[in-house]
Amino acid sequence: MSTTTAALEPVFTFLASTYGTLETNFYKIPGSHVVARYVKSSHQNDPGRTVLEIMLFIFAVRTLLQSRTRADRSGKHFIKFDEKEIDELVDEWTPEPLGAELTSKEKAHLDAVPVIAGPTGPKPRLTTGKTVLNLASYNFTGLAGNETINQKAVEVLRRYGLGSCGPPGFYGTQDVHIQLEKDIADFLGTEASILYSQAFSTISSVIPAFSKRGDIIVADRGVNFAIQKGLQISRSTIRWYDHNDLHSLEQVLESVEKERRKKGLPLTRRFIVTEGIFDCDGLISDLPKLVELKNKYKYRLILDESISFGTIGRTGRGLTELYNVPATQVDMLVGSVANGLAAGGGFCAGSSIVVNHQRINGTSFVFSAAMPAMLAVAASEGINILRNTPSILTSLQENIRAIHSVLDKVDCITIPSHPASATIHLWVRLPSPTHLSPTAPVSSGKPSNPLSVIPRDPMQFDYDLEEKLLQDIVEEALAQGVMITRAKTLRGQELTEVRPSIRIAVTSALSKKDCEKAANVVKAAFIKVVGRRR
Amino acid sequence: MSTAASYLSAVSQADARARKLSDTDSTTSTPALSLSSSVTSSSTETVLDDAPFENLDGLSYPKVPPTSEQVFKTVHSEFGHCANESFRYTARYQPGGQFARPEQEPPHYVLLSTYLSYLLLICVGHLRDFIGKRMRPSSYKHLMKQDGYMALNSDFDSFYTRRLMLRIDDCFFQPVTGVPGRTIVLLDRSSPDYNITYYPTGTRTRALNISSYNYLGFAQATGGCADAVEESVRRYGVAACGTRLEGGSLDLHLQAEALVARFIGTEDALISSMGFATNSTIIPALVSKGSLVISDELNHASIRFGVRLSGANVRMFKHNNMESLEQLLREVISQGQPKTHRPWKKILVIVEGLYSMEGNLCNLPAVLELKKKYKFYLFVDEAHSIGALGPHGRGVCDYFGINPRSVDILMGTFTKSFGAAGGYIAGNKNIIDRLRTSGHTGAYAEAMTPPVLTQVIASTASIMGISIQDKNSSLQSQAVAYPGPVPSSALPPWMPLAPTMIDGTDGAMRLRRLAFNARYLNRALRLLGFLTYGNDDSPVVPLLLFNPGKMAVFARLMRTRATPIVVVIVAYPATPLVTSRVRFCLSASHTKEDIDTVLTACDEIGDLLDLKQGTCGRWPLEEIMARAVEIVQMKEMP
Ligand SMILES: Cc1ncc(COP(=O)(O)O)c(C=O)c1O
Repeated sequence: MSTTTAALEPVFTFLASTYGTLETNFYKIPGSHVVARYVKSSHQNDPGRTVLEIMLFIFAVRTLLQSRTRADRSGKHFIKFDEKEIDELVDEWTPEPLGAELTSKEKAHLDAVPVIAGPTGPKPRLTTGKTVLNLASYNFTGLAGNETINQKAVEVLRRYGLGSCGPPGFYGTQDVHIQLEKDIADFLGTEASILYSQAFSTISSVIPAFSKRGDIIVADRGVNFAIQKGLQISRSTIRWYDHNDLHSLEQVLESVEKERRKKGLPLTRRFIVTEGIFDCDGLISDLPKLVELKNKYKYRLILDESISFGTIGRTGRGLTELYNVPATQVDMLVGSVANGLAAGGGFCAGSSIVVNHQRINGTSFVFSAAMPAMLAVAASEGINILRNTPSILTSLQENIRAIHSVLDKVDCITIPSHPASATIHLWVRLPSPTHLSPTAPVSSGKPSNPLSVIPRDPMQFDYDLEEKLLQDIVEEALAQGVMITRAKTLRGQELTEVRPSIRIAVTSALSKKDCEKAANVVKAAFIKVVGRRR
Repeated sequence: MSTAASYLSAVSQADARARKLSDTDSTTSTPALSLSSSVTSSSTETVLDDAPFENLDGLSYPKVPPTSEQVFKTVHSEFGHCANESFRYTARYQPGGQFARPEQEPPHYVLLSTYLSYLLLICVGHLRDFIGKRMRPSSYKHLMKQDGYMALNSDFDSFYTRRLMLRIDDCFFQPVTGVPGRTIVLLDRSSPDYNITYYPTGTRTRALNISSYNYLGFAQATGGCADAVEESVRRYGVAACGTRLEGGSLDLHLQAEALVARFIGTEDALISSMGFATNSTIIPALVSKGSLVISDELNHASIRFGVRLSGANVRMFKHNNMESLEQLLREVISQGQPKTHRPWKKILVIVEGLYSMEGNLCNLPAVLELKKKYKFYLFVDEAHSIGALGPHGRGVCDYFGINPRSVDILMGTFTKSFGAAGGYIAGNKNIIDRLRTSGHTGAYAEAMTPPVLTQVIASTASIMGISIQDKNSSLQSQAVAYPGPVPSSALPPWMPLAPTMIDGTDGAMRLRRLAFNARYLNRALRLLGFLTYGNDDSPVVPLLLFNPGKMAVFARLMRTRATPIVVVIVAYPATPLVTSRVRFCLSASHTKEDIDTVLTACDEIGDLLDLKQGTCGRWPLEEIMARAVEIVQMKEMP
C-alpha cells in the first residue's frame, strides 16, 4: 500500500501545480463565477451538502463510465444469495450444448462440397476421380499454377523458409513484404499500401481502425459479411442506403447533414463504405458518381475491391482503372491478394497517413503474424504478369461474354450481375404463377429508413426452395463435369437475407469454347432441375 | 548437375573464409562447415553465398568446431549445431511443484522513477505540441479538422503514439530478410528526422534472433520440411483459390486436418488460414446473445475481437486467478442474465495456454476442477504453447498430463512452433462440423494455401515421427491419448521424408533442446539477479525493465554488440504502464553457446542500466555458464 502512495506522490504534486492553472482557466469560462459563488455559498450554509453534492457528482460520473463488462453488484438488479443458495443454483443450471448438431440438410451440404485432388486450376481432378471444368474457384486471371510463379516461390522458400514467425512489428516485416506493398501501391497508383495476412480479416480491421464510436458510416445495404463485421466492431453510427442506388445514397447523405445542422452536432469523421463488385450479386458500383458525392458531402470513401481487384480494368487494376478514376480519390482501397493475385492475404491502399495509421491501429495487422514470404513474392510476380499481359484480362472478358451469351436468355435464370463482372450470380426464376415475381417488388416510391438495414421493399423470394433447387443444380452440373458452387452465406448471421445464388467465377485459363460448353451444362442443369419441379 | 559444381565452389569459398578467420583465432583445426541437407536445389548456394558476413559476429560458425564424427545437416545460422546430449531436457509438470512463483516487487525508487519518467514524457510531449502547433502548424495539419473533414486521427488520440512511441520507434518494424531462424539478417536503416521517416543504409547485419516465435526451429530454408514444401509447390502451386466451402477445398486440407486432430489427440480439427481469424471468426459460431464469455483479462486481441463479434456478454477475471474465476462463476450463474435473470444459455471460459507477454501457463488442472463443478465450456488458446510445451510437444494438456479431450475446444496457431501460418480448432466431431458450417471461415475466408499446408503436415509429422508399417497396427495406438508415430499412409504419398523425420529423432531433439534452453535462460536470468515473470519451462521469458527510457537503450545496446542480438520490447498498452519489459523467445535452434551469449549481454547491460533488482541468490556469470546442466536439472531454484 505504501508503495503506491509513494509512487503516486509525484502525481499529487503534479495535480497541485495544475490546479492553479486550472483555476485561472476556469474563471475565464463565461458563467463560471456563478457556479463558483454557488458552491462557495452552499458550502458556507451547509458543509455537509458540499460533500453530498460531490459524492453525487462522482456517482454520476462513475455510472456513466461503468463499462458493460464490469460487475453490477451494487446495481438494482443484483439479487443477494447466500452461499448455499448459490450452490443450489449452480447445481440446477444446465447449459445448452456448445455446438448444435448439424441438421440433415447442413450435413448433406457439407458432404457435397467437392474436394480437389492435386492442384487447383481450370480443369482439376476431384477426389472422386472425375476431371471437371472449374467455374467455382477464384482463379480469375489463371495465375494458379503459373510456372514462373512456382519457380519464384521455390527460390523464395530456399532463402526465407516458409513462415515469418512474428508479427510485422516484431521482426516479421521482411523485404519481400515491403516490396509487395510497394508493388501494389505502384500498380494502383496510390502513395502506399499495407498487407494483412487474410483477405477476409482485412476490411473488418480497416474500418474500426478509423471509425470509432460517434463517427458516421453510410453503407450500402448489400455490403459483404466482412464489412458488416467491421461496422459492428467500429461501434459507429451507421446509416444505410439502398443497394447500389446512388440516389438513395445522396438522400441519406443529405439527411445526415441536415440532422447534424439541426441538432448542432459537432463534426465527426464520416465514411461511405461500399464494394467495387458486390459479393452478393455481382453488381458494379458507379465509382465516378461515388467520388463526386463523397467530395460534395466531404466523406471519406472505403471501397472494398476484394472481387474487382485483379478482375476488371484493362490490366486488372480494378474499378479505378475501369472508370479511369485516380486511385488517390479512394481514401481506403481494400483488396484481396488471395482472390486477385491467387496468393494469400489482403491489402489496404491509400495515402501514407492512412497506411501508417493502420500499422498501429489495424487490429488484425498488429496482432497477427506477417504472411509467408513465398505468398508475398507470388503476389508481386502476379502483379508483374498482369501488368505485362493485358491479353489475360481481354480473354477473361471474352469468357464472361461467352457465358452470358449462353445464360442470359434462359427462362429459369435471372442474372443480377453486371455484364463485365467476373463473378456471375444466377438466381432461379420460377415461372409458376403461384409465386410472386420476385424480381419486381411493388415499389411504393418512398425512400427506405436509413436507420434500418432492411429496405422498405425487400425482394421477395422463397429462400429454402431456391436454395434447394440451386443445390440440386450444382450437383447436377457436377455430375455432368462442371464444378460450380452456390454462394455460401451464413443465413441468420448476415444482416439481411441474401438471395440464394449460384456464383460462377469465370477464369481466363479456360478457352472460350470450354466456357461455352460449361455454360451449356449449367443451362441444361437449370432447365432440368427447375423443369422437374413443374 | 551444374548446381553441384557451384555448390562445391561456394563450399570452398566459405571454407576459405572460415579458415582465414580461425587463423586469427589461432585455432589450428579446420572449422567444420554447415552442410546443408538438401543437395537437390540451387538454393544451397544462396545459403552459403548469401552472407557477405565474415564471421566477425561469431554467428555463422560454431565457436567450437565439431569433431569428425559429428555430422550436422542444418545450416548453423538457421538451426544451431549442438551435439552435446547433456544440453537436453524434458519438461513436464511436477505435481505438488511450484506452480507460480510469488511475484517479486521492484524497489520503490524504481517505481517512483518510472512514474516520474512517464510524467516527464507526457509534460514534454504536451509542451512540444503546444509550441509545435504555433511554430509549425503545417506538421499538425493532418491531425486537425480541415476543409470540412474531421482529422482521421486527432492530436489527442495520437498523443501516445507521437510523443512516446515515436521516440523508440526504431525498435519496432525493423525490416529483415532471410530465414527468421537462429539468426536473422537485419536490413539496416537510419532516420534523419528522429524516427519519422527511415531510409535504408544498404548494409545488413546478422543478429542472434531471440525474438521470433520459432519455438521448435522449423523456420528453415533447408531440411525435411523445406524439401516437402518445395515438392508441394511444384505439384500444387501456391494458391488454393477460394473458400473451403466454395471450391477451395483440396485433398491436402483434409489430410492436414486429420493429421492435426491426431496430433492434438481430439476427434476432429479444422484449419483456417490465419491464426488471428481462427479466434475472431470461430468464437461467434460458439456463443451468441444470451451466452456468457468469461475471459482472462490478459487474453489476446484476437479473442476479444471474436467475443465482440459474437454478441455474447463478457466478463473478465483477474489474470490466472482461480479464486477470482470461481467467485465470478458463482455470481454469474446465480444471477443469470442481466435484468431478466434468465439462466445463461451457456458459459464459455476462454484462457490461453501460455501467455505470450507474461510467460506463465494457465492453471489448467484448477480450471478443469472448476469446470466439473460449474459446467462451463472451456476454450484454450494454445497459440504459444502448442509444440512448445509438454514432453510430446502437445501443449499445456501434455505438460500437465491431462487428457486433451477433457477440454472442449483447443485452438492453436501454426505461425509459431510449426514455422507456417494459420491456425486450427480441435474438438469433438460434432462441434467441429458445426464450426465448419457456421463459422465465418468456411464460407467467407480464403482457404489455407498448399505450401503452408505442407509445412504444417511435414512439421507435425516430424514431431510425431512416422511409421512406415501397414495401417492396421496404427489403429490400436489411437486409443492412447497421444498416438505414437503417424502412419505414412496418412501423409501425402509424394512427400519426401527425411530419415530423421521418420524415426522421430528430429522432433524429439527439437523438443528437448527447446526445453533445455527455456529452463536455462529462465533460471540463469534469475540467478543473475534480474526480475523475470513466468514459468521456468516457458519458452517466452519476459525480463522487467520498468523505466520507459531503458527500453530503447536496452534494445539498442543489444543490437549494437559485437555479436548483435535482436530483442522485442513491449510497453503500455500491451502491458501495464509500469511493467515495461523485454521479451525473449527461445527456440530449439539456439545452442547453449547462444544462451550464454545472451546472458553475457544481459549481465553487462543489466549492470549498466541497473536492472538487477531481483531478490534471488546471485551467482556469478561464469559459474552459471559452467553449471548450466545442473541448474536446469534442479527441481527447485536455489
Ligand atoms: C494467444 C494468441 N492467439 C492468436 C494469435 C494470432 O496468431 P497469428 O499470428 O497466427 O494470426 C496470437 C499471436 O500473436 C496469440 O498470441
